[in-house]
Amino acid sequence: MKKKLYVAFFALLLCIAMTLPAFAAESLPRLVDDADLLSDSEEEVLLDKLDDISSIQGMDVVIVTVDSTGDWSTMEYADDFYDYNGYAEDGILLLVSMEERDWCISTAGYGITAFTDAGQKYLAEQFLEYLTDGDYANAFDIFADQCDDFITQAKTGQPYDSGSLPKKPFLILSNLLIALGGGIILAFLITGSMKSRMKTVRMQPEAASYMVPGSMQVSRSHEMFLYKNVDRTAKQEKGSSTHTSSSGNTHGGSGGKF
Amino acid sequence: MAGLQEYKCPCCGGAIAFDSTLQKMKCPFCDTEFEMETLAEYDSQLQNEQADDMEWENSAGDTWQEGETEGLRTFACRSCGGEIVGDESTAATSCPFCGNPVVMMGQFSGALKPDYVIPFKLDKKAAKAALMKHYSGKRLLPRVFQDQNHIDEIKGIYVPFWLFDAEVDADIRYKATRVRSWSDSSYNYTETSCFAVTRGGSIGFNHVPVDGSTKMADDLMESIEPFDFSEAVDFQTAYLAGYLADKYDVDAGESMERANERVRKSTADAFAATVQGYTTVETQSSSVRLHNGTAKYALYPVWLLNTTWNGQRYTFAMNGQTGKFVGDLPVDKGAYRKWLFGLTGGISAAIFAATYLLWLL
Repeated sequence: MKKKLYVAFFALLLCIAMTLPAFAAESLPRLVDDADLLSDSEEEVLLDKLDDISSIQGMDVVIVTVDSTGDWSTMEYADDFYDYNGYAEDGILLLVSMEERDWCISTAGYGITAFTDAGQKYLAEQFLEYLTDGDYANAFDIFADQCDDFITQAKTGQPYDSGSLPKKPFLILSNLLIALGGGIILAFLITGSMKSRMKTVRMQPEAASYMVPGSMQVSRSHEMFLYKNVDRTAKQEKGSSTHTSSSGNTHGGSGGKF
Repeated sequence: MAGLQEYKCPCCGGAIAFDSTLQKMKCPFCDTEFEMETLAEYDSQLQNEQADDMEWENSAGDTWQEGETEGLRTFACRSCGGEIVGDESTAATSCPFCGNPVVMMGQFSGALKPDYVIPFKLDKKAAKAALMKHYSGKRLLPRVFQDQNHIDEIKGIYVPFWLFDAEVDADIRYKATRVRSWSDSSYNYTETSCFAVTRGGSIGFNHVPVDGSTKMADDLMESIEPFDFSEAVDFQTAYLAGYLADKYDVDAGESMERANERVRKSTADAFAATVQGYTTVETQSSSVRLHNGTAKYALYPVWLLNTTWNGQRYTFAMNGQTGKFVGDLPVDKGAYRKWLFGLTGGISAAIFAATYLLWLL
């Protein structure tokens, strides 16, 4: 019953938004589970966590799930949801739309600075796996923890960006396999050279030692330019790209399927 | 075919041989030394004597089956009368009964006379020492190989070589590329420029040797190259005394192709080395024209050593002039595995530790 009220309220807001861009209302909770992906107890724990992070960091970290975004694109829906529901000026919102199986991150204010394009890509990699598997509680929990970490990092003046992403955990098994592979190749090369020292009898392919010294005369030497190719590869960009939502506010964001 | 030649000491009558250390003839019995020049004269005198003293005989009797004696030659030793058996290319050997060195003069008469000879500079002792050095530092050599094997045979042989001179004209076309990279604020650029490069000219090769004996493995003989031709002297049979020698049994025409093959490769390498300043160079077409001079026939000094281990025969060869020593050695499979596994473990551990340290940084 409560959820239906939100939907009605949100629809109403969108209608008013067309005529009244600068509308302010009391804020919605930071977890809006309209698609009902979480159990009540999970919702309670997650909401507490989001509220804690948000109040400590001074930025809103919001998670929204819906059955469908209707005629809007997920990005527009996420931007407008953030703009028209009274969240703080600075923040980040994760929208999950079940019908389209879309996820979308929208950032606003300082959130644009804190969550760079490369940072968002990394962030999505962390929770997407769980989202795909349907382990929503875990996915959202990771999202919340990562947001906390990202904002803390951004406050040092150096937000996570391409080249300075958080360290991935040290994978012992795969690193061990790589080391073993490298070890085998190098060992074969070394023992191969030891083996080749045992074989000293071979045909001589050339006769350089019998060349008459100074007899070589290069009388014709010519260089002709034929053609040239220029290959251009884009550098990996740093920072955050932005767009403007229907409210006229600037947002950053990214999204995809899960 | 003319008969045998034995060099007798004018002082004591003993059989004399060429001494590689002195580069002279020396009598092992009375220690008298003779200059090679003196012997050149002595040699010709002896050959004159030889004319009315045709003592060799072919002893192939009715008991031999047809074809069995083909390639066999027997000679009577002039010192003890013992029968020396050689094959049709044996040119110098020693009598199996009295040990005196003999030279079969007939193998060097007329067109068979070598143009040059490089006298032995290193002796049997040097060859044995070189074998020990050849064993050292070989980690995969079975430990017991060095202790268990003994040298079955050690022979100083004058090996017949054909020497080819070649004047080469070459025209070679290459496709070369040069790569330049730069970048601006948003892109990295790589520019690849392609050029057609041509080189033409001439180059000369002197005395490219090709083994003229089928008894010697070609790869073994090429492995002990190069020989320094500047030390070659005009041929005299006296140099062969005390060593074994063969006459050629592969003619110059057959050997020329091998020399040309090597000359062609060296020409291509030499011209390719002049194409510089490019990132990649690829040969597109090449025309190498050889003008061969006359082939020369020379005898080069080679020490051959044979050993047997575990029923297998190992042959080593040493350049009798430069001392270059070659010969394939057996690989100890156990030691090889130990090294392979040990190195794999050690290197893997090092790489793993290095990646962990890099991750920590």
